[in-house]
Amino acid sequence: MSIVAGCDVGSLTAKAVIMKNGKIIGSHIIKSKPRPKDSADAALEGALSAAGVSKADIAYCIGTGYGREKIDFVNEVVSEITCHGKGARWMLPTAETVIDIGGQDCKTMKLDKDGNVDRFAANDKCASGTGRFLEVMAKVLHIDIDELGKLSAKAKNPITLASTCTVWAQADVIKYINSGVSIEDIGAGVNTAMAVRVAILVNAVKPEGDIFMTGGVAKNIGVLETLEKLIGKRIKRSRKADPQMAGAIGAALLSMEKIDGSGNNRLK
Amino acid sequence: MQLLEKLCQIAENPYAYAEKIKGDARTPIIGYFCSYAPEEVICAAGAVPFRIFGTRGDISLADAHLQSYCCSLARGGLEDALTGRLSFLDGTVFPHTCDSIQRLSDIWRLNGGFSFHSDIVLPVKLDTPSARTYMTAVLRDFRDELAAALKVPLTDDDLTSAVRTVNQIRKHLGDLYAAHSKTPGILSAKALHQVIKAAMVMDRKEAAADLAALLESLGLDNPPTVADSGRKRVILSGGICNHPDLYSLMEVAGADVVWDDLCTGTRYVEGLVGETGDPIAAIAERYMERMVCPAKHSDNTARGRNLVELARTHQAGGVIFLFLKFCDPHAFDYPYLKQFLDEAGIPSMVLEIEERLPPEGQMKTRIESFVEMI
Repeated sequence: MSIVAGCDVGSLTAKAVIMKNGKIIGSHIIKSKPRPKDSADAALEGALSAAGVSKADIAYCIGTGYGREKIDFVNEVVSEITCHGKGARWMLPTAETVIDIGGQDCKTMKLDKDGNVDRFAANDKCASGTGRFLEVMAKVLHIDIDELGKLSAKAKNPITLASTCTVWAQADVIKYINSGVSIEDIGAGVNTAMAVRVAILVNAVKPEGDIFMTGGVAKNIGVLETLEKLIGKRIKRSRKADPQMAGAIGAALLSMEKIDGSGNNRLK
Repeated sequence: MQLLEKLCQIAENPYAYAEKIKGDARTPIIGYFCSYAPEEVICAAGAVPFRIFGTRGDISLADAHLQSYCCSLARGGLEDALTGRLSFLDGTVFPHTCDSIQRLSDIWRLNGGFSFHSDIVLPVKLDTPSARTYMTAVLRDFRDELAAALKVPLTDDDLTSAVRTVNQIRKHLGDLYAAHSKTPGILSAKALHQVIKAAMVMDRKEAAADLAALLESLGLDNPPTVADSGRKRVILSGGICNHPDLYSLMEVAGADVVWDDLCTGTRYVEGLVGETGDPIAAIAERYMERMVCPAKHSDNTARGRNLVELARTHQAGGVIFLFLKFCDPHAFDYPYLKQFLDEAGIPSMVLEIEERLPPEGQMKTRIESFVEMI
């Protein structure tokens, strides 16, 4: 069985995954650099090093994410919606509805029996409901973005943000900080505001079956649990891999299908 | 393909073309916003009907008159009128369609500074005998109004001659569409979009001649048969599209736009006007028989059935709805159109656009995902 790779260059992070025999043998994630090409090179180098293989060992590589067109080592590019769908189905084989919150957008997908995207909805209005929203708020709160999710469980009296516009919400958060509201209550309000935006999109595709979440925000327990309450359904977890890697995993899986002719994807 | 280049350049910069044809002869040019503007009447009066597509520039002056929740077609058109970019116009005609265009008409009349202004208060329901009578009457009034303003006789013979010219344009464009659907590589969807836009602003006799020559140069009598390229086929549905690059983005994503249901597309081409008998009644008849736009009514499901039929006829794998932001009539029709497509198993997606396209990254991702999905 050949070694394949998937590289997902997003607006906030770049991820690379190396797979062999359908198993991940190396992966790496970095903060995106200004140039997508540099991000892709660094992410792949880290993943190759983790897998203990060289670039020459890679039989096929698919690029995805917003920087996909600028990656020079990939054999082809596929949109991240298709890759996240594929990666989500691998991480949770029963997944039918996938929520992917990336750095600059948010999508929900319905998958068919083969893991192909049957229907999707994507935000197209503004940055609220995206990873960038949480990043901006974490910065204002002077906390690590990974800490933001845990604040919801500790909140006693969560605030309600007056606006979900990232710019106005930032001003709102500063006002609460200055009026002495606890970081936990503000953080919980931020997570709720995010979940409310995402819920609108989730409901647009009429979620059915098992629901799974990918992207960096899937690791924010505050958003995840609030979203579960808002859509009235449980979002399943998987320990198979980091949900933030789902796009790169999907790209690697599609690479594998490409060279061995397996799978039933609709790509040419 | 110098001719194709010429037509694309006119579509790219229609105002420069209008200034040129106005020239020393001061050829009258009448602006319009909608496919319900009877351009045969305008041609018969010796004027050039000039379709306004909105603006390519920033919108600032228009926002003092229109709310920001008006579509970019209304705001952009007014911007170009107020900045003087449309100063070559001798007047404008506003057929009664959506609320924004109706209100724009009032603002235009008061602030545009054009000598001729006409509202054609068309019927909304187009499936009744009384609507036919009424439609004919208002078109006749428009004929008299325009003839008086331009001080021309505007005879039935003038009208019949204009009907023949515009019919030729429709036939040629229809042939181009059919050939493009059969063999998408024969000319790009972007080029076809540019050609049809050029036909909406050009001197119609020149447009008819150029289109005939273009068809001949493409050798459409015996179009090449291409093997199944494996490329996806999509249909666009909506109002106006002023973004040729959108067609290229779809092409790069692996899909050919093989047909459309757009005001800047087949809505302009569909149906011919009868060339015998009362020309005004014949023009009215075409509007009554043509598939309605969402600002008009025929029956509750006509557009849905038509869209499914178009997708099947042209073997399209999916439909992309292209809506101008804040275009209420198209948004009102969307849920039922989508329902018809869903029931027929035809995937669809909405792209909302304004005078500028959304950030390219997000739009490309959505288009590519859709193309991968169908």
